[in-house]
Amino acid sequence: MRVVAVASALAVLGLLDGALAGFRSSLGRRGAVEHRVRDRVAARRGLLLMGGLLLPVAVATGLHALAPGPWPAEAYVRAGTAMLAVYLPYAVVTLLALLGYLALGWRWGYLASAVILGPFTLVRPLVATAGVVAGAVRGDDGGVTVGCLLALGAVLAVEPLSGRLWWSAGQGVRSVASATQRQ
Amino acid sequence: MSEAPAPRLHGHREPDPALRRDAVEITDLLWRIDEAGRRLPVRRSEVVERLLASGQRKAARTVARMPARDDVLDDEWVDALGIRVHCELQRLVEELQFPRRVAALLAPLLDDLRAGGGGPVRVVDLGCGLGYVVRSLAHRGLLGPGVELVGVDLNPVLVAEADRLARAEELDCRFVHGDALRPGVAVDDPARTVVISSGVLHHLSPESLTALARAEAALGLAAWAHWDIAPCGWSTLGAWIFHQARMREPVSRHDGVLSARRAHPAEVLLATARSGAPEYDHAVHEGPRWHPAAIDVVRPLVGIRR
Repeated sequence: MRVVAVASALAVLGLLDGALAGFRSSLGRRGAVEHRVRDRVAARRGLLLMGGLLLPVAVATGLHALAPGPWPAEAYVRAGTAMLAVYLPYAVVTLLALLGYLALGWRWGYLASAVILGPFTLVRPLVATAGVVAGAVRGDDGGVTVGCLLALGAVLAVEPLSGRLWWSAGQGVRSVASATQRQ
Repeated sequence: MSEAPAPRLHGHREPDPALRRDAVEITDLLWRIDEAGRRLPVRRSEVVERLLASGQRKAARTVARMPARDDVLDDEWVDALGIRVHCELQRLVEELQFPRRVAALLAPLLDDLRAGGGGPVRVVDLGCGLGYVVRSLAHRGLLGPGVELVGVDLNPVLVAEADRLARAEELDCRFVHGDALRPGVAVDDPARTVVISSGVLHHLSPESLTALARAEAALGLAAWAHWDIAPCGWSTLGAWIFHQARMREPVSRHDGVLSARRAHPAEVLLATARSGAPEYDHAVHEGPRWHPAAIDVVRPLVGIRR
């Protein structure tokens, strides 16, 4: 049961991160003042994309479970708990700042963005890597380490991939690639 | 009688000592528009040499990778880049809550002007880029009724895109290409016009800042409010963090951090404004620089006719 609880908590955090990454990937692209509908679409796409990117983690874990010999459930729990210890505080602070940004007046909303949301976006790859390193070290198992690395790949890929898939071109803005080819 | 010591200005700091005075933003060099508004060719090698001359090697490498034909930068590509860069910049301006800042400062000024009667009041955004501030003010109605919103920029590509975006969202504002302070371009009734700008002042030398204030005073504007970055370690750090975290274009990252480093201290803004427009009251609304007064990282130079 513990392994299911830890895996579920990590999956929820991963999908939440995917939604926020999808939202970020759509910002600064189109120039419209009103973009709430687009924000929601981008967040949904990011969530679904993250779900897809995390599938290899589930597949690798399943294959590991089906492999001959005992399945090291305890190693997964140790690794997952170590990852949660890194990710949960980051997620809680981010969510509180987001709530502040949305619910408080513009001055406090600005501070939430300037002091927390911006810097936290910058350190997100480092936090993701730190969690995976902690998980791999605590898990101390080859199969667990593979799962951790696949999860890290998903977290690092989701935002640029979302941007490239859905938001990189439009409004008559010619892509860099096509312009370079024309040269 | 000995000369009194110079007053110690609160939070005074010298310009960034590591920054060369001739350092320039990449986007300052990518368009050349003549007086008639015609686009002139921009030679890639000249831009690269200009950046190398001011020690900006990374910026020079960025430009060297831009597409060109016979050494002339590809207009279409540069225009697309300019729009991408300004869209990214709009994201930051939105995060900085810029329209709210503008509305909070202008509300009492506009109330006074409206109280005097005589038709609508006009707010002109000088160097409006994609016009986000004007479009956002129009969209949210933050300045109340009886206010005409006009955005002006020297770059016709940005003006055209600002106009397209405004029409797409059916916003009650307009955009004009040209010099905002030239009579007839955007200012018809100076006594009922307030000129604003955001992120423009750091592009100007102290001499040009004086000339700007002189031109505004010569027009007889009711008031102006020019927002720009307050130069200090916090704003440079913040600019670096946010441009790394939020921007995708290398040009945006380079220019954004340089903007913070080359911004003018409050005492320079005040001295040049007082020199150019002595008949106006001036103020720079900013807190002390020795602690992270994050809300004041972008602050206005305000001039109000006495």
